[in-house]
Amino acid sequence: MSRAGHQGSDSAAGAALPPGLIDDAIGWAVRMDFNAPSAATRQAFEAWLRASAAHAQAWERVQSLQDVFRRMPAQLALDTLQSPHVQRAPAGPRRRQALRLLSLAGITGGAGWLVHEHTPWQRVLADTSTAVGEQRTLQLADGSVVVLNTDTAASTDLGGAVRRIVLHRGEILVTTGPDPHAPSRRPFWVQTPFGSLQALGTRFVVRLDGRRARISVQEGAVAMHPPGRGAETVARPGESWWLAPQGSTRAPSQGFAPDGWADGVLAGRNMRLADMLAELSRHRRGRIVCDERVADLRLSGSFQLRDSDQALRFLAQTQPVRVTALTPWWVTVGPAAPG
Amino acid sequence: MAAHISEDPSSVETLYASHHAWLRGWLHRRLGDSFDAADVAQDVFMRLLTRPAASAAQGLREPRAYLSTIARGLVVDHWRRRELERAWLETLAHLPEPQAPSPESRLIFLETLIAIDRMLDALKPQVRSAFLWAQLEGLTCPQIAERLGVSLATAERHVAAALRHCYTLRFGA
Repeated sequence: MSRAGHQGSDSAAGAALPPGLIDDAIGWAVRMDFNAPSAATRQAFEAWLRASAAHAQAWERVQSLQDVFRRMPAQLALDTLQSPHVQRAPAGPRRRQALRLLSLAGITGGAGWLVHEHTPWQRVLADTSTAVGEQRTLQLADGSVVVLNTDTAASTDLGGAVRRIVLHRGEILVTTGPDPHAPSRRPFWVQTPFGSLQALGTRFVVRLDGRRARISVQEGAVAMHPPGRGAETVARPGESWWLAPQGSTRAPSQGFAPDGWADGVLAGRNMRLADMLAELSRHRRGRIVCDERVADLRLSGSFQLRDSDQALRFLAQTQPVRVTALTPWWVTVGPAAPG
Repeated sequence: MAAHISEDPSSVETLYASHHAWLRGWLHRRLGDSFDAADVAQDVFMRLLTRPAASAAQGLREPRAYLSTIARGLVVDHWRRRELERAWLETLAHLPEPQAPSPESRLIFLETLIAIDRMLDALKPQVRSAFLWAQLEGLTCPQIAERLGVSLATAERHVAAALRHCYTLRFGA
């Protein structure tokens, strides 16, 4: 269905883009998102993205089509959508006819969800959450303080015989409190998809990635319990550990202070540029791509996380790198032009 | 969306007053349940209220044909929703107790599933599977090709076709 060509419309469903351009953007999405792109492919993609504002707009639209999948726990969605009740034989005539009628009536199925903002599914499960670039501090009734980092979802349950925090997504800094209203100090647990932790009077950071949790202890100690096992190991101050279904293992230093983010900074000595940028990109929407020619550059200092644009500008001023924002969603950091 | 609201709401009111009982009867025969029929009839009139004025005017000329065209689409949606609900409940039933989402979360997830299903509805089964694996399992095209036993080029074509389809639904051609 063609749309009336209103000039100046900038809404998501705004002006039509040339079909060939959409096909190009889709071709790039297939190469960049669903293949392992080589450096040459990535450079060709960036040249394409840079070529015009319409390219960038087409790319953003194609990316936005994939948001709805992040709003659903993957395994549950797969099990349901691939269940025999739902998998049907190729659409029969009755179904086809119904579809034609639907489009005749001008019902652009699914218009309802389109206006939803992009929300990761873990936030649905959580009592409290932060968006990308946001942080939040919770003062709990037992005197504990929980700081949520960017893009985090957590639930708290202080009503029972144990105090419990469930981390669904992201990263938290926990400082356990004295629990003054309970007859005796109740155990304090953090539950993650990869196992549980018991705080032993303490201050510590828990951070999730797709496969495991990282635990970094600043004060006190934390006992780590992989799923279905007893306490496996105790993490001590200054240590970082991985907690995964297979067990717990020591984690190497990230090159920056694990709890610096709670003060709004990324602070470290001798950080790899690629690691620093990966960390910074957690605090902004879109991607920061680090050119491998500068990935191993080492830097020390502290960078403001609350204004990642500023951090990138600072980087460009102080390091031999060039920062190029093709769109706000695709920033590349490469070598500075010679001279 | 102000421009899409019927300019003369009294026309929808007229349609409602004259044909609501007939529509409920029509729906009852197809759905076999008077509560479902009442719900879907309500949805039909809700659609009318958010319909571009031009197509609503067209509807006034042949009101029953117009109403039943909209209603047929919603009946299909209704049955599809039932199928998905059943599959969703079975998936949840296999989940260990502590991992089960709360009733509110379940409802939000079900709505999301319905949106995804509707979006992918017209795709061929192999294209639909390829796209679901890419989006939900994070499979790459080479992995999809291997799982389906097709060439890499075919797997890439499937993912591209699904993206094209979703694009058209969302942004128009």
